[in-house]
Amino acid sequence: MWEAIAFYSLAFFLVFFAFKTITVPNPIHAALYLVLTMIGLGAAFFNLGAQFIAGVQMIVYAGAVMVLFVMVLMLFDLKAELRSFSKGLFSGGLKVMSAALLAGLAIGAANSSVAILDTQDAAKPTMDVTRQLGILLYTKYLYAFEALGILLLAVAVGVVAVSRIKGGTHAQH
Amino acid sequence: MLSIETFLHVGLAHYIFLSGILFSFGMIAVLMRKNVIVMLMGVELMLNAVNLSFIAFSKESGNLNGHIMVFFVMTIAAAEAGVGLALAVAIYKKFHEVNIRFFEHLRG
Repeated sequence: MWEAIAFYSLAFFLVFFAFKTITVPNPIHAALYLVLTMIGLGAAFFNLGAQFIAGVQMIVYAGAVMVLFVMVLMLFDLKAELRSFSKGLFSGGLKVMSAALLAGLAIGAANSSVAILDTQDAAKPTMDVTRQLGILLYTKYLYAFEALGILLLAVAVGVVAVSRIKGGTHAQH
Repeated sequence: MLSIETFLHVGLAHYIFLSGILFSFGMIAVLMRKNVIVMLMGVELMLNAVNLSFIAFSKESGNLNGHIMVFFVMTIAAAEAGVGLALAVAIYKKFHEVNIRFFEHLRG
């Protein structure tokens, strides 16, 4: 009962904030609504028993990534746009319908796979979830973890290189 | 089939439904907005919707591989946001506006 109430209020807030994110004309307001969406998603992760992921969501998304977005937006000095959506009523309707179709297909496929999901070992984890996650990350997924470190290094170098571009090959001096 | 019991017993299907709604919102933002930064926010919203479905499936099946996958997706998303915002800064330096309309002038 209380679980259902918690889920539905959380779902309402998530959908409302996500809707505001994609519809407000001012990009700064969109970023702040996206922060609220991220915090709501962190609460949903906590609800699902993923405490560590919820904390990482708060720190990485609501903290780091969104601060990056807001700082870039402040660098640009953007006003609220008069035409924030691309034009064309027909093509806009087609885009919304294609997004809804994709979501419906994904939900249908996932729902039909729920029945064949193997849930016999769905008992409570014997250890703490975070401890188990750390053991898994540093044994089975160790190479993927190291590859992510190399990827982040490459991305850090690439970001500095891209942001120092001065006009490309067609630059006028 | 649709009884009050279906609504009150929150299970995997509810979270999958919520995740699908959030994913379609992110996709609509990417397809319809003209500001590049808001399009990047739509991409972040889609990645987070997928994370939610990963965690829901992980809870349902009782193993932690979904958590690991969410961890990786978050890292990739942070990298992607960094690259996208750097590209937006490069575009802004050239055209003094970040609008998808200017992307057709980019040659070489």
